[in-house]
Amino acid sequence: MSRIDLGLGVLDHQLVDSDGRRCGKVDDLELDGLDVKAIVCGGSGWAGRGRLGRLTAWLARGRAVLVPWDEVQSVDDAVRLRKPAGELRLGRGDDRARRLVERIPGSGL
Amino acid sequence: MKTLFSIALGILAAIGGYVDIGDLVFNTTAGATFGYQLLWAIVLGVGGIIVYAEMCGRVAAVSNRAVFDVVRERLGFAVGLVTLVGAELVSLLTLAAEVGGIALALELLFGHSYQLFIAVAVIGLALVLWAMPFEWIERVFGYGGLCLLVLVPAVFKLHPDWGEVAKGFAPHMETSNVSLYLYYVVGLVGAGMTPYEVYFYSSGAVEEEWTPKDLTSNRLNAIVGYCLGAVLSFALLICAGALFLPRGISPELLGSVALVVQSPLGAIGLILMLVGIAFAVSGAAIDTAFSGAYNVAQFFGWEWGKYRHNAGAPRFTIAWILMLLLAFAIVITGVNPIQVTEFAVIFSVVALPATYLPILLVANDRAYMGRYRNRRLSNVLGIFYLGVIVLVALAAIPLMLITNMGQG
Repeated sequence: MSRIDLGLGVLDHQLVDSDGRRCGKVDDLELDGLDVKAIVCGGSGWAGRGRLGRLTAWLARGRAVLVPWDEVQSVDDAVRLRKPAGELRLGRGDDRARRLVERIPGSGL
Repeated sequence: MKTLFSIALGILAAIGGYVDIGDLVFNTTAGATFGYQLLWAIVLGVGGIIVYAEMCGRVAAVSNRAVFDVVRERLGFAVGLVTLVGAELVSLLTLAAEVGGIALALELLFGHSYQLFIAVAVIGLALVLWAMPFEWIERVFGYGGLCLLVLVPAVFKLHPDWGEVAKGFAPHMETSNVSLYLYYVVGLVGAGMTPYEVYFYSSGAVEEEWTPKDLTSNRLNAIVGYCLGAVLSFALLICAGALFLPRGISPELLGSVALVVQSPLGAIGLILMLVGIAFAVSGAAIDTAFSGAYNVAQFFGWEWGKYRHNAGAPRFTIAWILMLLLAFAIVITGVNPIQVTEFAVIFSVVALPATYLPILLVANDRAYMGRYRNRRLSNVLGIFYLGVIVLVALAAIPLMLITNMGQG
């Protein structure tokens, strides 16, 4: 992979799964020395983003999802993943909300 | 030929979609209070929205990112979150004001009670958002809003002093009440540059999958559409100046906004004006409800968009439903929608800098924009307007307090 700026080029960028579905943001990065080990998404992952991040994490209460960096296909206008969101345990908030919205008639419109 | 046609249609929709409740209120009260003196402030505001709508449309077409993607990437989580909360509060207030405006227009058209029409408006908006395709929504309400063009013949019928009108386009002040004058400057600039317009515009561009091929249409849409839209604002201010100022009428109700055409054009004019208001304000209500949902979804990376069916972007769908419910809860308490409008415009001014700064930064970034990044003209204008916005944002709340919200 070519050189990318982690601060401006990856952090806070959109995650898109192999089906083209938006499934979260790069909320934090797990580093091992100078290597990126994983993308941290949602829940307790916000806690590393300052005081407001800790507040958001506390309100959200969920655990962060870790996506190993090996699952990243490419970084262009979004961070594109090799697998569907479900296999990486991403997009679960939308999955839960979908069950609610699907109860309303015409949800397929 | 087909593209030319679709560009023309887009421009027509932009004209009809330019005016919202904030413009209606501030243009009319500014005209009634200061005559034609403040026409230049409308020019200032429309220039700003053209510069930044073009820029964020270009960013969306080239980098595939809408405003709150950019806000998050450039301002980071914490500052981005503060911007988000501000943007959501302002969008909600604006939506509440628009809903009140629709209900007032319907009340004037059909009689019956205002409370009933608040419910009608919210249910109607929910059905439209739920079931109508994106491009239909844009067109139907944009074209309906074109009824407001009735303001143009009304201006000529009122025979304003054209010399005075011309003077209004150059900044000058003929009053001892400086703070009230400045309050209306802030209001007119703020009503012209309301942030939801760029949230909606850029998100729509990403939804319609614009590419650099659409940049010409983007530029024409922004420049021609908003300039012609501003003609409606000029006309409204001139009518109010010609009709209300000499008689000492202060327009505190939406009904008096519509009266500016009844006097010169009679009942037909009045009906066209009210229908135009109902469509234009409904269109703006839809834009704001969607903006609230776009912003939060883009900030947290949820699936979003009207092009995905309702269940395809479920949290986005829930977000706009919540926006409508909260707006309903605000308006049904009986607060004066004109006052809600003034609050919405003044507070939206405060939120402007954090919205427009990241757009300006990204539009200059080679990594995002490549050869489509800002040229000198966009930067000179972009920086000029950023300065204007910062000044206006700093002055907005002090002026609102000093003038007791324009009461003098």
